[in-house]
Amino acid sequence: MNETKGLIFNIQRFSVHDGPGIRTVVFEKGCPLRCKWCANPESQIPSPQLAWTKNKCIGCGECSRSNLKCSPYFSEDELYWDNLDDEDAAAIDKVCPSKALHVIGYETTVSEVIKQIDRDSIFYGDEEGGLTISGGEPLMQPKFTYQLLREAKKNGINTAIETTGFGTTADFIKIAGKLDYLLMDIKTLDDNMHRKVTGVSNEVILDNFNTISRAYPDLPIQVRTPVIPGVNDTEEAIGSIADFIRCKNNVRYELLKYHRLGESKYASLHRMYPMGDVELSEDTFRRLKQFEFNNISSQLEDEGWQKGLGI
Amino acid sequence: MSNVLLSPQEERIGKNKGKVKLFGREQRIYDSFQNSKSVVDVQRAKYFTESFKETEGQALSLRWAKALYNIAEKIDVVIDDDQLIVGRGGKAGKYGIIYPELDGCFLRQFVKQASSRVESPFEIDEEDIKVIENEIAPYWEGKTYYEDFAHAMPKDVLKITYDPKDLFSSRFILNESSSMRSALQWVHDYKKGIDLGFEAIKSEAKTALENLDEFDPKDTVDKAEFYESIIIVSDAIILWAKRHGDEAKRLAEIESSQKRKQELLEIARICYKVPAKPAETFHEALQAQWFIQMFSRLEQKTGATISNGRMDQYLYPYYEKDLKEGRITPEKAKELFRCVWLAMAQYQDLFVSPAGVKFHEGYAHWEAVTIGGVDEDGYDATNDLSYLLLEDKREFPLNYPDLAARVHAGSPERFLKEIAITIKDGSGFPKLINDEEIIPILVSKGADFASANDYAVSGCTEVRMPNLDTFTTPCPFINLAAILELTLYNGRMAKYGDELLTIETGDVTTFKSYEDLENAFVAQERYLLKQALRQQFVANRTRPKHFASPLGSSLHKLCMKAGKDLHSEKIDGGFDAGFFDFIGFGTVADSLAAIKKCVYEDETISWSDLLQALKDNFEGAEPIRQRLLNAPKYGNDDKYVDSIAKRIDKEAVSFVNQYAKNIGIYMDLRYVSQSVNVPFGTVVGATPNGRFAGTALSDGSSASQGADEHGPTAVLLSNYRTKNTNYNNRAARLLNIKLTPASVAGDIGTKKLVQFIKSWRDLKLWHLQFNIINKETLLDAKAHPENYRSLLVRVAGYSAYFVELSPNLQDDVVNRTAHDEIA
Repeated sequence: MNETKGLIFNIQRFSVHDGPGIRTVVFEKGCPLRCKWCANPESQIPSPQLAWTKNKCIGCGECSRSNLKCSPYFSEDELYWDNLDDEDAAAIDKVCPSKALHVIGYETTVSEVIKQIDRDSIFYGDEEGGLTISGGEPLMQPKFTYQLLREAKKNGINTAIETTGFGTTADFIKIAGKLDYLLMDIKTLDDNMHRKVTGVSNEVILDNFNTISRAYPDLPIQVRTPVIPGVNDTEEAIGSIADFIRCKNNVRYELLKYHRLGESKYASLHRMYPMGDVELSEDTFRRLKQFEFNNISSQLEDEGWQKGLGI
Repeated sequence: MSNVLLSPQEERIGKNKGKVKLFGREQRIYDSFQNSKSVVDVQRAKYFTESFKETEGQALSLRWAKALYNIAEKIDVVIDDDQLIVGRGGKAGKYGIIYPELDGCFLRQFVKQASSRVESPFEIDEEDIKVIENEIAPYWEGKTYYEDFAHAMPKDVLKITYDPKDLFSSRFILNESSSMRSALQWVHDYKKGIDLGFEAIKSEAKTALENLDEFDPKDTVDKAEFYESIIIVSDAIILWAKRHGDEAKRLAEIESSQKRKQELLEIARICYKVPAKPAETFHEALQAQWFIQMFSRLEQKTGATISNGRMDQYLYPYYEKDLKEGRITPEKAKELFRCVWLAMAQYQDLFVSPAGVKFHEGYAHWEAVTIGGVDEDGYDATNDLSYLLLEDKREFPLNYPDLAARVHAGSPERFLKEIAITIKDGSGFPKLINDEEIIPILVSKGADFASANDYAVSGCTEVRMPNLDTFTTPCPFINLAAILELTLYNGRMAKYGDELLTIETGDVTTFKSYEDLENAFVAQERYLLKQALRQQFVANRTRPKHFASPLGSSLHKLCMKAGKDLHSEKIDGGFDAGFFDFIGFGTVADSLAAIKKCVYEDETISWSDLLQALKDNFEGAEPIRQRLLNAPKYGNDDKYVDSIAKRIDKEAVSFVNQYAKNIGIYMDLRYVSQSVNVPFGTVVGATPNGRFAGTALSDGSSASQGADEHGPTAVLLSNYRTKNTNYNNRAARLLNIKLTPASVAGDIGTKKLVQFIKSWRDLKLWHLQFNIINKETLLDAKAHPENYRSLLVRVAGYSAYFVELSPNLQDDVVNRTAHDEIA
């Protein structure tokens, strides 16, 4: 039996924006990057953690009266707590009636996830839909990610990952060998900026991109750039990414518009939202999309890409 | 609404400020009635009653045929300006008609309240009130089906049906619907009426009459009367059509526009020809169909209003021939169809009894048009007309007719793709009906494959085989949430005080395990099933004494062969498919699961605290309500709760499998709530799934409002895993799925929707309909109804205009989870 364990925080069904077809997305927990705009801040720390969703809280005080070792307490309408231990994590489910206070992240096994995939597989169709591993960063749990993909492939399931590309090249190569489809972010080519807004250099990421696209010329790769105000919302920034990916086989490019849908999650983790009040204007995004299309998507050779996807 | 894509329907509304945008003829016809209030037309009731007064004592089928002849002879013939298809059942504008033989005992009460009632009000003029009060109501009082049935019902059944002290007041525990309409939903064999015509049907009856055994009294009385009724009804419909010919001719003579004059002369020519003689062109065929359909409405009120059958099949030969001979274009065919839809939209399904109107909010009727599916031989039947009808639905933003697409394993990709595109347009049409589930079920119950393959969708989710099915009595509705409350309060309900309504199954606080509770629930469930079957047994016996259907019988092979009216209790070779309905499936499965989890497993809530919280409608007990809300919920592919739902289903299907045959018809389990989940919710206190007292129950076989948190695929899987496919005693399961436009946007979204539909088909689920809309739209529509007058919303089996729904039902729609996907 397959007993490699992985730490995940959600399995999302009927996903329609994370690869072709109808997919099941497994969100792994833990990420080496700290992007300021991250919409899944609960995915960053590679261990279970407590969160408190204020608008779900009914203020009943059951948590502060409980025997939890993390001893939650209210102060000025906010809930605070100490570090979470395993015992608490198991008990907390029964403590908070509204699940305002809840644990994010749980251990699972490859066979457990595969069971879920099997149930959903009727929705995948002949070749399109399937499993997408997202995160967090799938390359941060390479063994679990690899085994899960291998098991899915063995069962004839279409596979994809959504990655920052930040991991060891050896792991990435091994994992990419089990993929039908790769979704990878390239946020900016400006390394200074990259370090500043994600906490890591883009060198590993760009190298990995080159290596993978050379090693697997038939693997369709969807490169995505979240357009972030003040980071890469210019023609120059997008244009340089275009130059970088232009000569690769089987690459498609997509701009994603910055959104603030993760903002409330920061509050539930007692974190400030790093982006503040910044917004991306509709006009800027539309202009960049047009620019992107003229300079990249309209020129990319993606017949093979389409073939690989069965589109 | 910046983050959500709008569906084309919403965009249209934005551009046209709530006005439906049509062109030319269609716009003019639409404008002629859209802003009018719904009015009651008494003519049908008046002439029906007038004839009945003169035929006392005669055979019912003869009386019915003569009454129809009286109507055909006297009812006002009205031809709308610009119309190409003629035949109305009442005055100009939006109108409803009355069937006093059904529930005339409510008429006096109705005329006082009609214009002021909250749900589906009707205007009625002073003169007509006098006709009702002086000519119609006095004759029927004491003679209606309703009164006869209520008096015949055993006392212990009556107690959970009507208030024994006030027989006109429903208790919404075990409801009957047999007094709201004279038969379950129905589809005629239109093909016979169009292809052969009523002169041929009349000859068929004459020949049968001549061939009767002159020495057999059964033949010379019963059958002779039947065939005479067929002759009279054939004359009646031919006369009615001819009067339309006369009127068209008269109008043509005074018409100044040459173009309209020609149209009117063509109408006159067609009305003199069909449905007397066989139709020869598409226009003639469609006119013949509409005459039959409209005359059928004058004949009686069947469930959901008479359906249109497989229009893409029986009209196709005419369409193909006209195309080949250059008589028609696809555009012209669409125009004729739209003339039919616009005539249909002016008919308003009028319910006189207070229970009837609560069961059918929003003037809705479901004259389902069926497209696609397999032909009699089992091969794909999709043709150009199937695509034309889909195209028409995309272009023509009216909620009539209800379009139903049959889907099977061999449906062409193009058909599925065009279905998906049409659904995405936002009106939720077409609804989908699954051949892979329905055909085997029909065959397992005794249908031959050819008839089963040729079934037509009828009503909101049901099906009919027009020459094999027989009329069956409208179904009982069982309030599952009331069963739960009866279990919690030992055979009593909070609303009805100390009165023992059913049986005592024990004090729940003494139950040692969850299994004790589930067994008590099942005992109450079986008690309600027992009473539902008894109620139906009485209804079945009562119905043929009150109704006849000479028109329906004339189009039915078995009736014409046996010389028996379609309303007879038993017709040789007939397929007698009846059903009963469960309301609140999700509400109850969730409630039982919550008790299992919180009271017995986690022990986070005690029985006494739970019962107190329910009694207080959760006031001061929000932590308890939150725990209940966070227990496992049906609709999330969660075995914990789905296994409970499956047992509720199993107890019912196994019960009717054993006992229903003694009534002589199938009585199968259906989950189609229409809007019944709203009135049923009003009598049920707070429930252990966290639902507040008096609010709507879950609809059809859908999840409780807002409980389906894992997306539409999990909803389908829960539905699939709660069926007991080792029994064939199942009827329709209505399943609503709401999607936001963003989740199926673009060509890629279309492919995903097609894939979703294929999966639904492969899971062999009966029915599926989508509601592609977003919550903000609905909230805004509720706040600003004036801007959303043309907003269509799917409510449990039919489309209605959102702003025409009561505030309660609007809330119900809003609260169903929208499966949004913003990324």
